[in-house]
Amino acid sequence: MTVDVSVELGSLKLRNPVITASGTFGYGVEYAELMDLSRLGGISVKGISLEPRKGNPPPRICETPCGMLNSIGLANVGFDAFVGKTLPRLRELGATVIVNTYGTTEGEFAELARRFDRTDGVAALEVNISCPNVKQGGIHFGVAPEPAAAVTRAVRDATSLPVIVKLSPEAADLAGVAQAVADAGADAVSLINTIRGMSIDVETRRPRLGAGIGGLSGPAIRPVAVRMVHEVHRAVDVPLIGIGGIAGLRDALEFFLAGATAVQIGTANYTNPKTAIELIAALEQYCAERDVVPADLVGAVITD
Amino acid sequence: MDYLRTRVTAIERPAPEHVLVRFAGDRPIEGRPGQFVMVRGEWGFHPVLARAFSLVEAGEQGAILVRVVGEGTALLDGLRPGDSLAVLGPQGRGFSEPETGRRVVLVAGGVGVAPLVFMAERVANGGGRATFLYGARTSADLPLEERIRGVADLTVTTEDGSIGRQGLVTEPLVQILADSTDVQIYACGPEPMLAAVARLAVASGVPCEVALESRMACGMGTCKGCAVLAADREYRYVCSDGPVFEAIAIYGGDQ
Repeated sequence: MTVDVSVELGSLKLRNPVITASGTFGYGVEYAELMDLSRLGGISVKGISLEPRKGNPPPRICETPCGMLNSIGLANVGFDAFVGKTLPRLRELGATVIVNTYGTTEGEFAELARRFDRTDGVAALEVNISCPNVKQGGIHFGVAPEPAAAVTRAVRDATSLPVIVKLSPEAADLAGVAQAVADAGADAVSLINTIRGMSIDVETRRPRLGAGIGGLSGPAIRPVAVRMVHEVHRAVDVPLIGIGGIAGLRDALEFFLAGATAVQIGTANYTNPKTAIELIAALEQYCAERDVVPADLVGAVITD
Repeated sequence: MDYLRTRVTAIERPAPEHVLVRFAGDRPIEGRPGQFVMVRGEWGFHPVLARAFSLVEAGEQGAILVRVVGEGTALLDGLRPGDSLAVLGPQGRGFSEPETGRRVVLVAGGVGVAPLVFMAERVANGGGRATFLYGARTSADLPLEERIRGVADLTVTTEDGSIGRQGLVTEPLVQILADSTDVQIYACGPEPMLAAVARLAVASGVPCEVALESRMACGMGTCKGCAVLAADREYRYVCSDGPVFEAIAIYGGDQ
């Protein structure tokens, strides 16, 4: 099929609007045996910090109705190992790499941006100011406009790469945060990160996660995410990447109609590791049959 | 590693609340003893995750042994021949090949028998015969006992004495290790059993591998959900560093 499903998010052009979400698809290379990674619109890799991180005490995951909680804690190999070993392999495989970055301070975010700016094979940065599972940084930057804008500005000043800022659903004024990061130079925002949740084992009376609380993801959060994309799209002129329980074509279409230019696939990668690749084929077929391009659908929800 | 949409070819119920699911796809089900697969039927989005099971069989057909303990395993228990089953695998590090000259001792607890049945049959196919120690709480928790008897020298223990020797599976292991340390141990079962087996093996200087169990989301080494704290106080990932580990790496040498 020759239908053009490419999309533009500010200065970032993607061959299609389907990206695998950070934390749910490793560094991408693990899936190279299962699919042609160059077919994906992008791979947002597991959040990278300057130094390796070990992550939180187990258990780190538990299932909840139509979803799951995780408290991984941004376990990752760190900048050097990622750039030295993993990134070259991703380049060989033709993947479009979006590097999700995590810092505990504005300075760390800026330093990561500076380093990736000098690194070949990176299509964009996704600034994670919304992780609920770390004690420092993470969600604390993402819940109010001023710190979110400060991190964004620090990253913007440190790189010419397209900058995506990943937002938390726990901001009191999400549109305000989106406007602030857009004004600070973000090319796009992605939303939503997980919603903090808790599950208790009633036999042991202990939390089912070692860390006590974690981030809820999966189809359970989809309506919340659709609503937030819709509200931010109405309020702020910045390209959006919708995330939250997307598992197939109909879910992705819902996010486009709500105002997302692209989508990320997260928990559904665990349900079926080929979710994203199958969604791309389904979207191409949909666009061909309906004679539309994805951009025609963005924000096209009828609310009168 | 492959992602196959298979069909269930047979269902067996080798013990109460246990189901053996056999499946086949367009391509063979690869895998060796100790490796596992992530499986999921077509049941919408709850539960959202696939389930990890050790392979009991691989080849033209694969098989897993399921103990029905919750929502996901109840759905697997409901499978019928012809139903579709998505299978991702084989995953992880399996048991190492036995060293020549060492007696193979397999120590299983309950449903932990699954990878060890595969191992016992592998040893038998190679012309050997493993010693198989199989412990459970009660006679109802001993799936595949007859099948093991055909390929290995089986000793059964139950905590309630309802069949076999009354007591823990580690008791016959103590006797074996007292007779000879020219053995190697492969173990799979509940955590306290594995810790006890590891302690005995390390104390006797006998090579011992344990297959661990963990909740998993991806099964691919990507989500970092299945961390276990190893003896060196570093995390290991059951799906990608294991599920088979050197016992000493997990339980340490000084217990």
